[in-house]
Amino acid sequence: MFHKALWYQNYKQTRMIIWIILTLFIIHMPFQSVLSLETWKEREEQANQAEGYVYEVQKWDVLQIFSQGTLPVFLSFSIIALACLLIGLERNTRRNDFTFSLPFSRKDLFLAKWLYGISAIFFFHVINFFTAFFIIYQSDYSTALYLVSWIEIFWGPLLGFIMFFTFALLIGTFTGEMISQVGLTFLLGFLPQGVFALIQSFTEVHFRYIFSLPDWINYLTPFHYVFNQSGEIQSVVLPLIFTGLFLWLSTYLYEKNKIEHNGEFLIFKVLNPVFLTGITIGISLAGGMIVSALAPWSADALRVIAYWIGFTTFLLFALLIGRRIVTMNIQFYGKP
Amino acid sequence: MKISRVSKTIHGKYILSDINFSIETGSIIGVIGRNGAGKTTLLRTMTGILDPTKGDVTIDGYSIFKKPQIKEQVIFVPDSSEAFKNYSTKEILTLYKNIYPKFDEEYFYGLMERFSLPSVKKTGAYSKGMKALFSLIIAFSTGARYILLDEPTDGLDVIVKKQVLQILIEEVAAKDVSIIISSHRLDELEFMANKIIMIKDGKVDSLYEIEEMKEMYKKVQLVFKETMPQNLKKEVTILDQTGRVYTVIMDRNDPKIQHMIEETEPLLFEELPLLLEDIFVAKLGGVSHVS
Repeated sequence: MFHKALWYQNYKQTRMIIWIILTLFIIHMPFQSVLSLETWKEREEQANQAEGYVYEVQKWDVLQIFSQGTLPVFLSFSIIALACLLIGLERNTRRNDFTFSLPFSRKDLFLAKWLYGISAIFFFHVINFFTAFFIIYQSDYSTALYLVSWIEIFWGPLLGFIMFFTFALLIGTFTGEMISQVGLTFLLGFLPQGVFALIQSFTEVHFRYIFSLPDWINYLTPFHYVFNQSGEIQSVVLPLIFTGLFLWLSTYLYEKNKIEHNGEFLIFKVLNPVFLTGITIGISLAGGMIVSALAPWSADALRVIAYWIGFTTFLLFALLIGRRIVTMNIQFYGKP
Repeated sequence: MKISRVSKTIHGKYILSDINFSIETGSIIGVIGRNGAGKTTLLRTMTGILDPTKGDVTIDGYSIFKKPQIKEQVIFVPDSSEAFKNYSTKEILTLYKNIYPKFDEEYFYGLMERFSLPSVKKTGAYSKGMKALFSLIIAFSTGARYILLDEPTDGLDVIVKKQVLQILIEEVAAKDVSIIISSHRLDELEFMANKIIMIKDGKVDSLYEIEEMKEMYKKVQLVFKETMPQNLKKEVTILDQTGRVYTVIMDRNDPKIQHMIEETEPLLFEELPLLLEDIFVAKLGGVSHVS
């Protein structure tokens, strides 16, 4: 996995997205910290003018710089793109033929991709974190850093991004091309919370019963670790466990890859019925949830009818989509 | 390089079935077969791109699937250079130097100069002919002992084609390498290959030296007083028929057929030069549709 050629090839393949990720990290932390200091200063000046009012930086203000807000959302999308360029796009083009013909084991090929991605995430995060940390630390607002824990601002987001990148690569090891990889990364990235929302909607419409969301469902949702830093020890331990698990599974699957199925929905045909059934049920339940929400809240019978109209309509869509998915084959061939 | 009992199924269909042969260095081997016969699948399996469903490919006794490092001895040149279109000439050089320890940079630049190939910022800017030549130059510079080429002259103009063929022959003569070519251009293979592997329905139909093959068959022109007798039709492969004039392929070493023809007292019984294409039609012709 430390073969220089593979690092070089991976960089050539992903150069643009790597620079985008670096730029997002710079905007997210150092740039935002500079802007936040100015904002805090301005707010303090305004507060000083008003009698009896003292401005204090809140915990939420600090979290915005390091682990929350919209930039982690863009970062997670960019991380999915990085994983897709490393695996999915290779499958859509003939690059996979070149990679698999090289005198390296498939394990080394995969681990080089993983290590390359997590190295980029690690260095970008660490460098930008400490730059932003130093900017705040040397300012008049250095005490604001005591409002947050290291898990919330450093370990949580870092391990969350690494785990999420590993997860996106894992999806790439069993999907046949880039669009499937993107689609299933989003779908499975929200799966536990998504399934919970669908079941909750079903019971709510039919039985007027609402479950409360158990914590373990959040902990099983990969996207949770990118968007939500609670500062609990679980935010460190669980991403580490998931990263290890995903890495082991994805290395195994990459070694067993049948690239003759590149361009198709899934590489392992045995998974087709599982995914098609899941997607069909999921889309149908989502249809029921969406259409039932259009009916008046108090009209119980109408909501149930609307639910099943939505369910049936979306079921038909799902069956049509499923048929396309089974026969899809997306390969890009450049001019020879 | 030894290909032992290699089978490959894709979508439940046998693409390759129990393929066996071995390749010695210092030769040019042509892999021929009709469209969809499994030629490209065979080359892709021989380089470890595809896993065989059964069987193994070994070099010096080592499986390329269990010990992939041995693939430093093999290079596959596909019929399209899509993988490198965004690389500059120098970047490709850097990449290959890091993959193949025996990469000969001096030799690479020598060939680039000889074939007047300029260094470019993106190899996607090369013309089709230039890309084909460039791929071959890279392949020969790696120092690999087995060079697998998929349709190397497909779509090239006559001048580039001659250059490509020239470089292939020179390489085998100068170095201890073996070139395995999958091609539809039987005239080119006939000109340079020592050995021909015919693939039919995913199986090796035959594997012979070209000269050996030509000694097995005879191409003759026959003119009969009337039409060709039915019993004779079963013994020969008719390549062409215009009225009572037949061009056929027959087994050279079967005196029975010779005797049957003579018995019909044909108006003309003349041997013609046998081409690889004739043997291809005779052996692989089968049903007329292209699969």
